Amino acid sequence: MENYFIGIILLFFGAIFSLFFKKRKIEFITICSITASIFTIQNAIKVFIEGTKEISFNLGTIFQTVRFEMDYLGAFFVLFISVMSTLAVIYSKGYLKPYLEKGKDLSAHCVFLPLLSASMLLVATCFNGLFFLILWEMMSLSSFFLVIFEHEKKEVLKAGLKYLVFMHISVIFIILLFALLINNSSSLDFAQFREILADNPVLSNVVFMLGFIGFGIKAGFVPFHNWLSEAHPCAPSHVSGIMSGVMIKTGIYGILRIISLMTVFNPQIGYFVLIISVISALYGVIYAIGQHDLKKLLAYHSIENIGIIGLGLGLGLLGLAYNQNFVALLGFSGAILHILNHSIFKELLFLGAGSVYIKTHTRDIEILGGLIKKMPYTSILFLTGAVAICGLPPFNGFISEFLIYFSMLKGLSVDNIFMFLTMLLGLSGLALVGTLAILCFTKAFSIVFLGEARSENAKNVQCDNGISMILPMGILGCLCLLIGVFPAIIFNFILKITSIFVNVEQTFEIIPILQIISTTALCIIGAVMVLSIIKFKFEKRVENFETWGCGYNKVSEKMQYSASSYAQPFTSMIKPLFKKISDIKKPKTIFPKEAHFEQHIEDVEEVYFIKPVLNSIENFLTKFEKLQNGNIQQYIMYGLIFLIIAIIGVVTVG
Amino acid sequence: MDKISLILNIIILLISPFFVIGIIKKTKAFFAGRKGVSIFQPLYDFIKLLKKGSVISNSTSFIYRIAPVVVFITTVTAGLFAPLCANCSIIGTCGAFVIFCYILGLSKFFALISAMDCASSFEGMGASREACFTTIVEPAFFIILASIIALSSNSTFQNLNSIVEYAGNFGVLIIVLAVISIFIMLLTECSRVPVDDPTTHLELTMIHEVMILDNSGVDLALLTYSAGIKMVILASLIINLILPSSLDFTASCVAYFILLGLIGVIIGTIESAIARFRMSHVFEFVFLMSSFALVIASLTAVKIYGV
Repeated sequence: MENYFIGIILLFFGAIFSLFFKKRKIEFITICSITASIFTIQNAIKVFIEGTKEISFNLGTIFQTVRFEMDYLGAFFVLFISVMSTLAVIYSKGYLKPYLEKGKDLSAHCVFLPLLSASMLLVATCFNGLFFLILWEMMSLSSFFLVIFEHEKKEVLKAGLKYLVFMHISVIFIILLFALLINNSSSLDFAQFREILADNPVLSNVVFMLGFIGFGIKAGFVPFHNWLSEAHPCAPSHVSGIMSGVMIKTGIYGILRIISLMTVFNPQIGYFVLIISVISALYGVIYAIGQHDLKKLLAYHSIENIGIIGLGLGLGLLGLAYNQNFVALLGFSGAILHILNHSIFKELLFLGAGSVYIKTHTRDIEILGGLIKKMPYTSILFLTGAVAICGLPPFNGFISEFLIYFSMLKGLSVDNIFMFLTMLLGLSGLALVGTLAILCFTKAFSIVFLGEARSENAKNVQCDNGISMILPMGILGCLCLLIGVFPAIIFNFILKITSIFVNVEQTFEIIPILQIISTTALCIIGAVMVLSIIKFKFEKRVENFETWGCGYNKVSEKMQYSASSYAQPFTSMIKPLFKKISDIKKPKTIFPKEAHFEQHIEDVEEVYFIKPVLNSIENFLTKFEKLQNGNIQQYIMYGLIFLIIAIIGVVTVG
Repeated sequence: MDKISLILNIIILLISPFFVIGIIKKTKAFFAGRKGVSIFQPLYDFIKLLKKGSVISNSTSFIYRIAPVVVFITTVTAGLFAPLCANCSIIGTCGAFVIFCYILGLSKFFALISAMDCASSFEGMGASREACFTTIVEPAFFIILASIIALSSNSTFQNLNSIVEYAGNFGVLIIVLAVISIFIMLLTECSRVPVDDPTTHLELTMIHEVMILDNSGVDLALLTYSAGIKMVILASLIINLILPSSLDFTASCVAYFILLGLIGVIIGTIESAIARFRMSHVFEFVFLMSSFALVIASLTAVKIYGV
């Protein structure tokens, strides 16, 4: 554990000492992050070889013994938090360069970036309830300061504040959860919590529900997802990458940790988690289709993927409740693998979106286009991420989705009608999510990168980004492909983590299938390469010409299919689920002059739930506005009234 | 699986698409009172296209150049997982239908982005419709397959008709409904009348044909060939649902070929008898598959749990 703490201390060191650097702040924290991650990764790998490690500190009467334990689950999180946040920090150098040239002060950013990694790493290993809350809060606050990087923009500040409010609602539930556990066990240690949960189904259920809501707000399950779609687009891209790829997973970590403490499982909880997850997955992807802001689209896809992870968790819980070991094993492995996969491809996509933003200064995909010719590396890597997030072979997303599918197919044989219907819901839901993701990412990729440039922003791009931005994306892209092509190796690794929840001895059935998938993936890649080479070599004369305009020969780039029109058949099919806001100015008269069309999709929850609630609270509170009128005499009177009441109170009670 | 059926399956996968399309064309010619082209014509067309050079749009990138290859390879690979002749697939593993669907998904992904690469409004229109129809078809297909698996506890995507043994009359009913819905899926995915008219002259109303409007030469050959392969795969699914597993190898092979020809004739007859639907009605038609899938699911629930 020493190496782990050396890494953490290095991160804190980087955060504090970056303040003393005038120019090379980012380089300094990059070096600190890389060295720190070497130490933490080394420690995590040691845990996988040698088993659980722990260390405790005695911090007086309030905290009692603070114990940091790195079991397989913690080590897994430490491993991918280190890798992902380091890659994002490397990327930040290129991304922040234009801001630096404009003379923006990066001090706060450079303090909170390592601080966020450090707090996430500590959260994943802390086994002390009270200390966990402090670290959790540190994580939320440092990410808040990272989100409001461009705080001079009004909408960024608004999104940041919304994020802060949501995180504190989440903390209320987590505090309640720990208060309940600490009160019942009169100890702060997680090991003690396990003992009191051991044969107490009622307490287990209450604890799980509190944890699911509290940690679920962080993870972004519907209906607690609202902060996600606003905070992610506003943050700088590498921060969105860390937040979406890593930080929301700490919410899932919390849920997994609670499951690891529980021993009695109620099927109702499993059904609840599974149904909420299917709803989240569908909700996320349906809204993503309607979005034309590239980063907002990706943010909604995070909700979708959290839903898929939750689907795996729900299956795991149902498997445990019905004593179906294989279902639980596949469910948990699928969920854990999807945590890793999602963090890889989502960070890749966010970094790709950032590269596009830095070059074109816009996130609106409707005015982009044709970037593949100018930014070939970014485009290919974005395409890799897009295929991976759709869960298509030969990339990593398919492996985790396949495990979850297989778990559901096994779950069909559980002799229970609710189970059967839920499995059907899950299967068709996941299939629907998969096809909708294809619809969404063919839209995003082809509108941004393919075809012709739709505006000056896209036309003026000259070249691809520098190596510091391409390299992290390249590493992530390779990881996507490697996991997709060699799933059996990664599955054996994931099994170690799954062993915390279930007995992992019966895996005989799944390994051969994974090997078939691996061979198929290799065959597809090989055959495509061979056939392409043959095709390019033996193809007869190839001519270039304009696109066929069906007889019309004044084709312009404005006539290309746009993102709204690509999504239109689907969005009009499910009209009732959206609130569409259109701004249309139709061309009129025989010689039409001006025309305009714009369409946005608003979140139903935002429109029909959050806004009315906030409005009524505001209406109620404005009635008290008169209290604060700037009149000092009146303020003194308030003090006097308060004092009198207090004295009366003391006298009567005393 | 033994060597003979392996070779037979590979031949079916690679050769029969030409003849199925040939049969469809012949049937349409018969109803139109023409003599029609020989059923070898699609094969000749394919060879002719391979020999030709191609014209490529200035707007396109390398995606457009490799997409036909990816589409072709993935369609063939998907075919390896699907049950073809004699009720067995070349790679028969548990959960094969998930792999099958996702590999076809990859093929669709590349077909869509290749269409969007031309910067043409027509191709985008086709791509958008195709993507939208898939979102209706796929979940329904998963429900049907899941119901069949729940009844027979066999997730290998082979011997689909064995549910008759497990479920008796219910099984027959489910098979009839499944055949109808997979036939709708075939019409949708392979863009046949009444969903799409492959021979229409108006680009605005096309779906699949408009997506490959700019492709020529080898690219066009590969794309039309893959569309044919996909049709044979889906037709084989229907045949496997119908053919009883009690038939011996030779009989089931003969029956398979007869039924494959028959499906070609049926598609040809439908195309001669009715026109394609208006786009808004197409959605209703495709949703029919979802309703059938739900009926199949409820029948399965009734059968297993006797509610």
